[in-house]
Amino acid sequence: MENVLLSVSDFVALTNQTLEYAYPNVGIEGEVSEFKVSQGKWVYFKLKDDESVVDCFMTLWQLRVPIEDGMKVVIQGSPKLTKWGRFSVTVKAIKPSGEGAIKKSFEILRAKLDAEGLFSPDRKRQLPRIPKRVAVISSTEAAGYADFIKIVNDRWGGLQIDVAHVQVQGDSAPDQMIRAFNYINGQEELPEVIILIRGGGSADDLAAFNDEQLVRTIAASRVPTLVGVGHEVDESLADMAADVRAATPSNAAQILVPDRQDIIRAVRAQTSSLLPLISRTIEQTSRSLREQLDGAVERIEYRIATYSDVLQARRSVLQQLNPETVLARGYALIRGQQKIGETIEVETSNVILEAEVKNVRNK
Amino acid sequence: MSGTNKNLQQKMDDLSELIAWFDGDDFALEEAIDRFKAAEKLATEIETDLSSFKNDITVLKQRFDSEA
Repeated sequence: MENVLLSVSDFVALTNQTLEYAYPNVGIEGEVSEFKVSQGKWVYFKLKDDESVVDCFMTLWQLRVPIEDGMKVVIQGSPKLTKWGRFSVTVKAIKPSGEGAIKKSFEILRAKLDAEGLFSPDRKRQLPRIPKRVAVISSTEAAGYADFIKIVNDRWGGLQIDVAHVQVQGDSAPDQMIRAFNYINGQEELPEVIILIRGGGSADDLAAFNDEQLVRTIAASRVPTLVGVGHEVDESLADMAADVRAATPSNAAQILVPDRQDIIRAVRAQTSSLLPLISRTIEQTSRSLREQLDGAVERIEYRIATYSDVLQARRSVLQQLNPETVLARGYALIRGQQKIGETIEVETSNVILEAEVKNVRNK
Repeated sequence: MSGTNKNLQQKMDDLSELIAWFDGDDFALEEAIDRFKAAEKLATEIETDLSSFKNDITVLKQRFDSEA
């Protein structure tokens, strides 16, 4: 190259070719400073450590997590010499590095999305009690997926499960999950639930589930979503945006389908409660009949007693009216004409006399 | 699925309806045994269905590792 004379533009182009060949993709860890977004499209910042600093450039749509000055990050990119002679790194991906930065980024994004209402309880939709067709987004090689499928198979049957195999960790994971969501939501015949699952892992492993575009995709899903990521203590923004949050993939299976053994037990309990119900009804009907009969007998006996009393009273009155009773009190019954010289018959209680009328006078 | 062409949910609904009849105003002892037998038959069908159902799992052929 000693005898080659290059124009400035050719030199810049040659340098860039060399850089591209030597460093097609380089990872750099450092602290962000002078972070700014220009025209709502371009992102500029400096990446520094104790001794050095390098300019960085990226497009806003590539920025998947909130970044601010002072945050420790890892970038993936390629170095480039601009036509203005400035050396910078064109960033393809950026993510917080270290627990503090990851937490800080998480909190900033959570506050932003929360303010937009993405996590609002009002947006949450209910899942069907017994779904017939669902879609699962997960890695089919992951332990969390195996746990989910085992528990769903143990608990329920007759379910059509479409599985979208995606990476669930690493830089490409958010985009793969987003494509899977979009693919499923674009199907003519939609499933009733989309389940996003991944087993436990480090904060870095689970970082994909805090990707802003993924969280927005989950929130915008036409199909109700169920997200079960990590262990019970893990909390991701994907969880918060989901219609229903499961603590783990196993818990997602428990939420998704009822336990067939519970239903069998409930059905048995329902039907076995019917026979005692019938017996009870027969017993109640018999008792009621017996009571009615007893009542009828009582009423008949009362009537008989009443009639008997009335009869007795009338008999008593009748007895008083009996001529024999009057004769017994000393009175006599006279038959015949009450004229002087006539013979009359006098009946007392114990004799009948014949007598002649000797005198008749008015009283 | 055993029995009729009704799906599990329809059978569960039918069973609930049958059982609700026993607590309702239309309850009549003359019909109770027939209804009980029908409920028991339905419960057995549901149990058989639940025990025999298998899930159908399909891994989609669609790849998501790059833009389609």
